[in-house]
Amino acid sequence: MASIIRPALLRQTALAASTRRAAGVSTNLAQQSVRSAILKDSTRCAAFHTSSRRSLLPPGPQVIKGGVNDPAPVPEPSPTHGSYHWVFDRAIAAGLVPLTVAPFAAGGLNPTFDALLCSFLLIHSHTGFQNIIVDYIPNGRYPKSRKGAMWLLNLATVTVGIGLYEFETNDVGLTEAIKRVWKA
Amino acid sequence: MNVSRVGVRALQQGAKPNVFFSQNLPRAAMAAKATTTMQTRPASTNKISETDGHSLLAAQRRQRPISPHLQVYDPTQTWFGGSIWNRITGGAFSGGLYVFGAAYLAAPLFGWHIESASMAAAFGSLPLAVKGSLKFLMAWPFAFHGINSMRHLTWDTAKGFSKKSVMSGGYAILGASVVSALGMVLFL
Repeated sequence: MASIIRPALLRQTALAASTRRAAGVSTNLAQQSVRSAILKDSTRCAAFHTSSRRSLLPPGPQVIKGGVNDPAPVPEPSPTHGSYHWVFDRAIAAGLVPLTVAPFAAGGLNPTFDALLCSFLLIHSHTGFQNIIVDYIPNGRYPKSRKGAMWLLNLATVTVGIGLYEFETNDVGLTEAIKRVWKA
Repeated sequence: MNVSRVGVRALQQGAKPNVFFSQNLPRAAMAAKATTTMQTRPASTNKISETDGHSLLAAQRRQRPISPHLQVYDPTQTWFGGSIWNRITGGAFSGGLYVFGAAYLAAPLFGWHIESASMAAAFGSLPLAVKGSLKFLMAWPFAFHGINSMRHLTWDTAKGFSKKSVMSGGYAILGASVVSALGMVLFL
């Protein structure tokens, strides 16, 4: 019977020891002791991991919404940011296929279709960059960086839009320019 | 000490007349038996403030194991075969478009000449080998992104995810993109 009890006892003793360390004796020293306890525990646990720890980036700041025991909040469903945006994204991408093939097939584009190609490329680039920002700058951890990157992208897209408008107006157009450089 | 055993002994003790009431019977039974070992619970709890609780949780989360490095995944699967290269090539072209668009707008301020005529003249003055390799460097990502995007649009309809079609599709797209890039460099 003692052999049945022993693992539970052992676990309890170990847990008690670690919580006593983790909780800290006094509240003003709590944070410091918590940190050192976690460091010690993690180095002990590391021995049980089979693969080495190779972080691409250090883990960012951890943001906990609500209390310690609250679950992670589920975002409000929004088709404008979800399915509509997704379908719009794919429609632009699918529309670009005939627009890029047409110059090869017809030997050139008229100004209207050239402008359409430029607009589609700009929107496709903008949403593509947005996807990259959304993927690599998580909003929960880096809300300021996310916002800054998005506004930087908006600014860049407007600038490039004006630049492309100027190019389309004053120069020979995108497809014709690429054609001339390619055949130079 | 096993709970069910305590219960049994309590029942046995309960059969005899006892001065204690029934809720004290198990404890009385335990105390009566000299060889019984009491289970000790050395776990101690401390109250910490809510902010300390938060910082403890945040610190613990920073120590959680992270996902394995990319090298543990099979590179013939979707993420490497198509997905990330679509993003890399697309990002390169979009970045190029953005740099060109912004530079064209800023060109009069800095006296740059990036009109189509001067760019064509500059490109035409390069040696043939350099021209060819630069063209291939542009043509292959263009062809790859174009062809692979169609596979992505197919994947978006939840089709073509069998292991065989992912593998064969990946190699087919790699071959088709190289062939069409060479075609664009040589014949256009």
